[in-house]
Amino acid sequence: MTTNHTNHRTNSSGPPLIQCRRLTKTYKKGDNTITPLQELDLDVPTGDFLALMGPSGSGKTTLLNLIAGIDRPSGGNLIIGGTDISTLSRSKLADWRSVNVGYVFQLYNLVPVLTAYENVELPLLLHSMSAKDRHEKVQTAMQLVGIADRHDHYPRQLSGGQEQRVAIARAIVTDPTIIVGDEPTGDLDQESAQAIMDLMVQLCEDLGKTLIIVTHDAKSAAYAKRTLHLEKGRLIEAAVLAARRAPLVPQEA
Amino acid sequence: MRLLPFAYAVRNLGRSPSRLFLSVAGAAMVVLLILVAGGFVNGMSRALRATGGEHNVILMGAGSEESVERSEIEAGVPGVLAASVAGVRTRAGVAYVSPEVHVMLPVRVGAAARTTTQSSGEQAAAAQGSNTASMSKPKGRQVMMRGVTPTAALVHESVSLTEGRWPVSGADEVLVGRMAATVLGVAEIDVQVGKAVMIDGRPWEVVGRFSAPGTVVEAEVWLPLADLMTATKRETISCVVLTLDPYNEETGEGADFGDIAAFTKTRPDLELVPMTEREYYGKLANFFGPIKIVAWVTAGLIAVGGLFGGLNTMYAAFASRIRELGTLQSIGYRRLAIVWSMIQESTLATAAGGLIACAVGVFMLDGLAVRFSMGAFGLMIDETVIGLGLLTGLALGVVGALPPAIRCLKPTIPVALKAV
Ligand SMILES: Nc1ncnc2c1ncn2[C@@H]1O[C@H](COP(=O)(O)OP(=O)(O)O)[C@@H](O)[C@H]1O
Ligand SMILES: [Mg+2]
Repeated sequence: MTTNHTNHRTNSSGPPLIQCRRLTKTYKKGDNTITPLQELDLDVPTGDFLALMGPSGSGKTTLLNLIAGIDRPSGGNLIIGGTDISTLSRSKLADWRSVNVGYVFQLYNLVPVLTAYENVELPLLLHSMSAKDRHEKVQTAMQLVGIADRHDHYPRQLSGGQEQRVAIARAIVTDPTIIVGDEPTGDLDQESAQAIMDLMVQLCEDLGKTLIIVTHDAKSAAYAKRTLHLEKGRLIEAAVLAARRAPLVPQEA
Repeated sequence: MRLLPFAYAVRNLGRSPSRLFLSVAGAAMVVLLILVAGGFVNGMSRALRATGGEHNVILMGAGSEESVERSEIEAGVPGVLAASVAGVRTRAGVAYVSPEVHVMLPVRVGAAARTTTQSSGEQAAAAQGSNTASMSKPKGRQVMMRGVTPTAALVHESVSLTEGRWPVSGADEVLVGRMAATVLGVAEIDVQVGKAVMIDGRPWEVVGRFSAPGTVVEAEVWLPLADLMTATKRETISCVVLTLDPYNEETGEGADFGDIAAFTKTRPDLELVPMTEREYYGKLANFFGPIKIVAWVTAGLIAVGGLFGGLNTMYAAFASRIRELGTLQSIGYRRLAIVWSMIQESTLATAAGGLIACAVGVFMLDGLAVRFSMGAFGLMIDETVIGLGLLTGLALGVVGALPPAIRCLKPTIPVALKAV
């Protein structure tokens, strides 16, 4: 259904939105050094929908967290929208995230003591705007994900699929350029998973968002424009080559 | 910096009702303790400060200035003073000169007193004494006895008869101060007018009650000077208290402390040392300084204990939502904003506890009678003490939240997001 996208929103003339250059992440544990990400080069153009696959422990989450600005690289450069975010201070990076990234988690991570509406509103409270504008933005986001009738429900009163919709509304409400998802359908049943992936495609197609998701599930990956495979902190050569040869045609899983 | 909504902090309190209860109750206990310590120190200071009359001078025997109980003066001295000291207040021909005996004596009341009057057996008294709460100890408690003449009522302005009448000399009658029951550790009813109290092994009838608000005098038992001298086989008195008319420049009448001091110098044969009554009780207050320090230190130590309990509770609360803390950061909330919300949460609980404690303090503890070695006084929970209590409540919230908040925000965001 949504597996063959054209690249009509991608601006291939300008620099890519996300540029990873020799991006490296290492952890030192005593004498051991773990390298979840090793000198990784990756370009993601605006409007791309990228699926990251690979065995457990291959560095998918690490890469996603770096791009989302919630983790810091140990080496290399990470330039997003012209800003080298590896040079930002901790608090500047927090501000950068609030403007540029929406994060969708496997376990939704809604705040249990806040209603669906309040959860979606949370990121907007970091920006100055009138209460009326804020209300409109929350309404729009909730309508877009199809949970406008659940304003006053607390997360515990929602199904998993509904919770993930609220989480997606929360991720897009500030209109960020990048949406990342770490196994966003990993905890959902087949049907809900499909609905969530349809929503993701819609965000990419209709709103022009750049999406990067980590997934174990080939069915979910098939919704993306392209799929990259990670292994031991590196992109698998074949995938890279395939991507270079036909950069914006997604691979069939 | 953009903050988290206040509602988030408020609703977080509801996540664990048992933890909320612990925080509120713990803070209330600590604040209550601070109120008791503050009320104690305040009440004691006020009692000693208020006891000295403004124009009163107390004359004691030379060499015993620090304790009126050890002082001895010839019984004829008051007459000499009344006749030869200028400036002593006089009303209707009566000079404000009060000869007094101050002595601590064991006093027993209630069942204990009756037991001894009925059966002299010490064992019976002891047995009875152990099963009635409203009785004093078998041997009685030390109470300040003041032997007085009717002029004492003039000199000690704060003293007023609230019930009954002035005791008659030679009839074994006494006046009982409002706080005396507290000193004796008995119920009010045991020292009512008409009851008997055992003083020095002999029953005396309570014929009147007096108050002297906020002073240590209220904890005393007053009786006729001659009776007390007989009972204690004394021939000397302890002191003379006199009230001066303040010096008036126009009329040249009245006197001040200097005049009294000069008089005692001209009559070394009387062996008198003058001191203003204020100064005398001020010195007593200094003597009790260490008790106040002990009160504060005790309250402080228990507050620290309570704080550690609070730290534990808050840590448990915050540690159970580390993933959520990671999520808030991933959205773009700064750690300081999150810490602030945690402080709000914790402080709401402890401030509520503090308020409860202050309400209890004002309505139940203020004025509560407390016994101490030289008498009794009421806890004085004033604005300062309440302020200190509320401040303690707030401080518990802030100090109790900070270390656990910092600890729970230590993990990096990716690590926090992996927390269960
Ligand atoms: N905080 C950490 N400290 C040490 N090692 C870590 C840490 N986070 C991740 N790793 C290691 O990095 C590697 C990649 O992890 P991750 O990116 O989560 O893999 P996945 O592809 O399953 O998402 C794993 O070997 C993991 O053990
Ligand atoms: Mg992972």
